[in-house]
Amino acid sequence: MRILLVEDEKKVADIIARGLKAERYAVDVSHDGQSGWEMADAYNYDLVVLDLMLPGLNGTEVLQKIRRKNQEVPILILTARDGMADKIKNFEGGADDYLTKPFAFAELLLRVKALLRRGPVNRSSVLRVADLEVDRLSQQVKRAGKKVELTAKEYSLLEYLATHPGRVFSRTMIIEHVWDQSFEGLTNIVDVYVRHLRAKVDDPYPTKLLRTVRGVGYSLSDEVEG
Amino acid sequence: MNTRSIRFRLVMWYAGLLTGIFLLLCALLYLNLRHFLENDLRESQARRARQIAQTLLAHVQQTGESYVASQTKDWYEPEINGRFIRITRADGETIYLSGAPKDGSFDPRQVPALTPSAQPEFSRKLKLSNGKTLLIAALNFKSSGNPAYLVEFGELLDPVETMLDHLFLQLALGLPIVVLIAAGGGYLLVRRALQPVEQITYKAERITQHNLSERLPEAHTGDELERLSHSLNHMIARLDDAFQNSKRFVADASHELRTPLTILRGELENLNEDSRLTPEVRSQLGSVLEEIERLSRIVEQLFALSRLDAGEAQTEWAQFDLAELAKTTTEQMSLLAEDKGIALTCQAGQKVPVEGDRARLKQVVVNLLDNAIKYTPEKGAIQLRVRGVNGHAILEVADNGIGIPPDALPHVFERFYRVDQARAGDSESAGLGLSIVKSICTAHGAEVEVQSTVGKGSRFRIKLPLLKN
Repeated sequence: MRILLVEDEKKVADIIARGLKAERYAVDVSHDGQSGWEMADAYNYDLVVLDLMLPGLNGTEVLQKIRRKNQEVPILILTARDGMADKIKNFEGGADDYLTKPFAFAELLLRVKALLRRGPVNRSSVLRVADLEVDRLSQQVKRAGKKVELTAKEYSLLEYLATHPGRVFSRTMIIEHVWDQSFEGLTNIVDVYVRHLRAKVDDPYPTKLLRTVRGVGYSLSDEVEG
Repeated sequence: MNTRSIRFRLVMWYAGLLTGIFLLLCALLYLNLRHFLENDLRESQARRARQIAQTLLAHVQQTGESYVASQTKDWYEPEINGRFIRITRADGETIYLSGAPKDGSFDPRQVPALTPSAQPEFSRKLKLSNGKTLLIAALNFKSSGNPAYLVEFGELLDPVETMLDHLFLQLALGLPIVVLIAAGGGYLLVRRALQPVEQITYKAERITQHNLSERLPEAHTGDELERLSHSLNHMIARLDDAFQNSKRFVADASHELRTPLTILRGELENLNEDSRLTPEVRSQLGSVLEEIERLSRIVEQLFALSRLDAGEAQTEWAQFDLAELAKTTTEQMSLLAEDKGIALTCQAGQKVPVEGDRARLKQVVVNLLDNAIKYTPEKGAIQLRVRGVNGHAILEVADNGIGIPPDALPHVFERFYRVDQARAGDSESAGLGLSIVKSICTAHGAEVEVQSTVGKGSRFRIKLPLLKN
């Protein structure tokens, strides 16, 4: 899988490129709009990560140029601008996803993966992490074969974490997926729900699955912490 | 009527000045006229006295005193004309005294006797017992070979006084009327002159930080008021500039901070992945990451605020039921309250249709509830109430928490304001939650107010226009 990253901030580009390379993607980096467009034109990329604020050709123009030539390639927009009007404009311009700085790399990676698979991630109806089973059809949760009763929000939270076992989800990501944007900045609600979820899913069992990664977020994993 | 208004004071001054000038003028008129009339009367009496002296007394030796007396009576008919005439010889003998006038207005015998003296001519005013005044001109006449005589010729001042009284009455009645008319006219004139001031005031009161681009009306009259409105408009323009600058600064700063924050976060997250880290280093990294997240959140909120300032809330305008929004939000927040043992209830029976940006208004409810939960101790109670009253949708969040001190109350909606650093308890909040509430409300044309008693609790109330039907 080959990804084109168009980002003029060298340090940001560096972090993203490193992170993506660590996930075994081939990454080409361009630092301005013109060369970004030329590279996108020259190679057949599987994904373009495009910053909006670019010198020379700006991101929106690059987006339009790429879309005129290539309708297929998924494009993920990075921006420090998150006005609703901008978002709508760029989705109309053919962007597939939108990520606002500052973002957690984990979130970028999730979105990249989602876009590359072009479709919902892990659509199997039962998600499994160790002896925990989350049935998406019946919305039932079992731990070690025993049914666990969860409220609707607790279930959504657990299901979200279970889609990517081992991956750390930031509180902001969790809020955006499980609640909505109105709860932004209200991260303690995640902590409270995770605590309640732990009491039901983890506390009665010897192996703890819900992990807290300080400063980053939460993950669901059966790996023993190293 | 405002007694301190320029209009009132100007008219009062004007009327006062006018009254003063009129009074002075009337007094002058009255006194002058009185002086003139008395003088005139005195002059004509003196002339008659002289006539008697020169035509009759000059020849008294040939004609005899009785002839003088009868001639005087015939000529002047004092009884008919209401006059007083007396001729006294130097030895004090009265050779003629007019009889009582026919109208009985005075009795000549009451007039005290005088003897001739060296003074050639003089006059005196005599107050009679019936209140009337007699003006008497006297003349000492001495011709060679004759004894000296004193001729007195008098007349009542009555007609003069009646006339003066009449004039006085007319002036006394006329003055207030004239002053009233002048003051009324002055009031209208002043009001007309101050009309632009009213307009400027009306408009100026409606200019807030949200419509600083508007300007006051400028009448091109070339007068002081045009200059005033012109200066005020210049001032508003400078304010507008300053406001725009500070808004742009917040927007730019929050925008510019994002990239370095992204880099910081990315680098630290990468570092955090390193399995060789000791738990202490990992914990320190975690702490730094937590602070970065907090910083990101502040930047996010500031950016949201600057977008609201720029009036971006209108992008997702829709109609929805505020009661339903309150109910679902309460439900979503209930666990947070439960966690502190707080009873969170929502009273929202009937539909309360409003129009606005649903997500942002939901944020208002979320922020208010979060605030209430934060400042209500365990086992407290929070009540959310939504209802439609008189064309307004009212949303209230009341708690029985620690309350807000009166001196802090006016500032709770200010950015970065915290009632008390220690009280905030957590380091999570930056003091922007309520200012976001305020900005969202303003963008929706809603009012937000707060009442609070320390130790008893607080009540936030939002008043939105209610949608009809």
